[in-house]
Amino acid sequence: MSESLTVTPGDIVREAAALRRSLDAGFREEVVTSLYGEVERITRRAVQDSGSGPLELDQRIDRVVTSRLFGLPLMLGILAVIFWLTIVGANVPSQMLATGFFWFEDLAAAWFTQLGVPWWVTGFVWHGVYRGLAWVISVMLPPMAIFFPLFTILEDLGYLPRVAFNLDYLFKRAGAHGKQALSMAMGFGCNAAGVIATRVIDSPRERLVAILTNNFVPCNGRFPTLIMLATIFVAAAFPPAVASLVAAGAVVGIVLVGVAFTLVVSWALSRTVLRGEASAFTLELPPYRRPAMARILYTSLIDRTLFVLWRAIVTAAPAGAVIWLLANISPGGVSLATRTADFLQPLGWAMGLDGVILLAYIIAIPANEIVVPTMLMVYMSQGMMTEMDSMDGLRALLVDQHGWTMLTAVNLMLFSLLHNPCATTIITIYKETLSAKWTAIGALMPLALGFIVTLFTAAVARAVFGF
Amino acid sequence: MFAPEYGAVTAVRKHRLAQARERTENALKHLLRQATDGHAASFTSLQGALRMGDRQLMALTQRLEREGLVRSEGAQFQLTAEGERVALHVLRAHRLWELYLADELGVPIHRVHEAAERAEHSLSKAQLDRLSAAMGHPVMDPHGDPIPTGDGSVPESPGTPLGAWPPSTPGRIVHLEDEPPLAYAQLSAEGLRLGQVIRVVDRSPTRVVLSDGENEYRLAPMVASNIHVAAVTAAQVAQPWPEGVLPLSGLPSGASAEVIALDPAFRGFARRRLLDLGFTPGARIRSDLATFAGDPRAYRLRGTTIALRREQSDRVLVKPLA
Amino acid sequence: MSVEHNCETCPVHAEMAQLGAAVGAFDHVVALAGNPNTGKSTLFNSLTGLRQHTGNWPGKTVTRAEGGFQFGGVRYKLVDLPGTYSLLSASDDEEVARNFLLFGRPDCTVVVVDASALERNLYLVLQVLEITDRVVIAVNLMDEAKRRGIAVDTRSLARDLGVPAIPVVARTGENMMALLGEVAAVASGEAVTQPLRSKGTAAFEHAVSKLVPMIEAAAPGVPNARWIAIRLLDGDVPVEEALASGRLAELVVRQQKPDARFSRKIALQGAQ
Repeated sequence: MSESLTVTPGDIVREAAALRRSLDAGFREEVVTSLYGEVERITRRAVQDSGSGPLELDQRIDRVVTSRLFGLPLMLGILAVIFWLTIVGANVPSQMLATGFFWFEDLAAAWFTQLGVPWWVTGFVWHGVYRGLAWVISVMLPPMAIFFPLFTILEDLGYLPRVAFNLDYLFKRAGAHGKQALSMAMGFGCNAAGVIATRVIDSPRERLVAILTNNFVPCNGRFPTLIMLATIFVAAAFPPAVASLVAAGAVVGIVLVGVAFTLVVSWALSRTVLRGEASAFTLELPPYRRPAMARILYTSLIDRTLFVLWRAIVTAAPAGAVIWLLANISPGGVSLATRTADFLQPLGWAMGLDGVILLAYIIAIPANEIVVPTMLMVYMSQGMMTEMDSMDGLRALLVDQHGWTMLTAVNLMLFSLLHNPCATTIITIYKETLSAKWTAIGALMPLALGFIVTLFTAAVARAVFGF
Repeated sequence: MFAPEYGAVTAVRKHRLAQARERTENALKHLLRQATDGHAASFTSLQGALRMGDRQLMALTQRLEREGLVRSEGAQFQLTAEGERVALHVLRAHRLWELYLADELGVPIHRVHEAAERAEHSLSKAQLDRLSAAMGHPVMDPHGDPIPTGDGSVPESPGTPLGAWPPSTPGRIVHLEDEPPLAYAQLSAEGLRLGQVIRVVDRSPTRVVLSDGENEYRLAPMVASNIHVAAVTAAQVAQPWPEGVLPLSGLPSGASAEVIALDPAFRGFARRRLLDLGFTPGARIRSDLATFAGDPRAYRLRGTTIALRREQSDRVLVKPLA
Repeated sequence: MSVEHNCETCPVHAEMAQLGAAVGAFDHVVALAGNPNTGKSTLFNSLTGLRQHTGNWPGKTVTRAEGGFQFGGVRYKLVDLPGTYSLLSASDDEEVARNFLLFGRPDCTVVVVDASALERNLYLVLQVLEITDRVVIAVNLMDEAKRRGIAVDTRSLARDLGVPAIPVVARTGENMMALLGEVAAVASGEAVTQPLRSKGTAAFEHAVSKLVPMIEAAAPGVPNARWIAIRLLDGDVPVEEALASGRLAELVVRQQKPDARFSRKIALQGAQ
């Protein structure tokens, strides 16, 4: 017994290494095979399969959903329907929320004034911070409350793995993993959530590709911009009956451009800084399950909608304050906002945009939701964020007063797709990669791409079409 | 530009240092190889291996001696204990890295040597220990060369060089030497691979003829000496695939089959994953769904539907069921 | 559509209470393991009252979730592990699940299996049984299996595996009390299980039998020297590190804690 007392962990590890060499290299395979043999014996005794039932139905659905002919069109169709429902459904509640919030703002501001509170406190609290929050909530809450449950139904049903299955070939060609489609789908809701969802990808290289490109799918905070542009510039040319359908189609188009960028950038990354072969791809296609509606409403509203909304509120409040300060501090009679916009104007022009739009994107780094409100605020020089009562009024302001053209609209859509991720997403990228280098690449690469693409399209549009 | 750590001057110096380390280590590697093969290393053999001019090589050998890595006796060089330790470290780095590239990253086997030649000079012992552990302490690199262990011992090379193998006796290829690369390229171009069972049919001073029962391989003796073989056990001989075996990727949609085996050359994480999913010999499988591109495909196996890319389904051998 | 069972008067909750995320002090740790898409998260939610999201795609639970419930006057901490097919491949989620089973030393592990895909699910069950004896199998999705014409004999399953196997429908809460009863019995040590441990080849068993006495000598009373031996043979880094850093010994101490608590309970009752 005395010798056994002297066994050290090192001895054991060495002995194990020696024994390992004595074993046939395939020993672990024998372990797996014998485990499965055992499993088969147990299953045979415990399970009686009469071999009939709705498995057939599952397979029939799968034949259609993944078919050569209908697989991809069906996917696009589902996407279009979801956007259409979101656009159509969110309109009225958004309007009601905005009216309510702004009515209260006026009331509260008047009350503050009556109490003799200095004008700048009233302005800062109510026309700055509160108005920023009100904007974000009324613009974001209704679409999210529609989009997330619809999306969650697809998720619970088991459709998402089929999407990954359908698209894997394209991802393989790009040197990426088909499960990247799952993280992109999450990215529609929130890019930070999409970055976290890349954990389902085992290979570190492919996971990094998925993290760095997740920003190319527009998140909920960016949809309002896209929807507005699609409505004003694209759908306006069509009769009202089909306008919402056309707008949904245009948004799907933009999403497809984002997917194309994802694939191209993934391809470029896996041939340069993230060189490597496509790794193994194994994906279970789970049986379709009937979604539990009560749970869907709960999880998509509480977990996702409120989570994303809360994040937006936390970032929008300080942004609202900054916007108010910029618009109201006017050394030499010109507001800081206007000065900055003037300074950015040459670059903005070269990109087919203008200085105001760039300023809005700088202020909106914490949360993309406030891009449009900031732009409108500076345009109208009203000293606070403004909502237009109708799309016609908005169109008049942008096109007639500030010279927006189709080029501006197209490039703004592109830039909204291709710019730095919001602060939350950047922080999430850092948390997931624990690398300042990859975080910097994840933040700056899309921005650089945005500059390049818009500079290019602007130059081409001006040279060829004479914009 | 001249700022410490970032400046161009520092970059050049760093490059110089890295180059010096690479040369040192390559020299030590050569000495180790010669010693293992039972030859003495000379100035000429070093010059051939490192492709360096007289003066440069002279400076290098003098430095190695000064640093206590190498001992010279007349015109011959030998490794000191310390020199051997360094050389074994480099060798371990080279072989582990080759295996890592081939098994875990799926890099084609003819490309791993070159990449490992670069990587071997920049890996620390701690990194190698982690790499080795992560791959389950492998004993062989993808060419069948033994990988030195962390404590500096080299597992015995299991094979006999083909030159010393009796004619007409079946032998299993256990090692294909990857140096010089040209000879290795010829071996892999001929289709010779690890695990193949061959016999020497004819041997003359100008050529060696091998056969695996189906094909004949004619090789220059220099090239053939890069093949090492070992005795074949009964289990290894009696392993012809049953009639009608094909890769899973070739199974028509809707057809059922029985899994026969996974391709032995298919290794690493991907192989473990397939085994865990139940792609074990005897399992029943049905080809179920295909996408617009025909790749990936989904297969019905053990009560679930699993999608695989062609790269994986090519490596699963199945026998279709009537 | 099923009615949500979160009312206090429902039979399911007659003697159980959901404690949500604020577990506080607890008596036992229960781990939830299982393949992806077996309704593990649904079971977790219905026991703890939490609403962890349950999407139907592989690997959606990428982190460990914790919650609590009370049953028969005993408080349990429930840990939802990532869904995995195996514990061997060493992907990140498998490592999280395996490390918790090994080092978290749960008092009971509930392995959730899909009744309509037992052949795939039992592979993981056998691996869990190699690590720990304190296992209860929850054969979930019994309704779905029935619709597919698949009948599962859970008694045969329990007999073969040597641990309790309870048919449940996590979505409706069906048979949850029976499951909790078994969990309570196994966690408290009342029910003694005899888990199935499969044998490997002769050479493999020989290698294992050489290592087991060494491990037992280095860490006396270690709960499962055989499993550790197998992992060492496979070159498992975390296990090697645990061995080197003495965490295996720590495991032993933890393993004995419930017994100490039990004897303290008896002592208190004796005093009254």
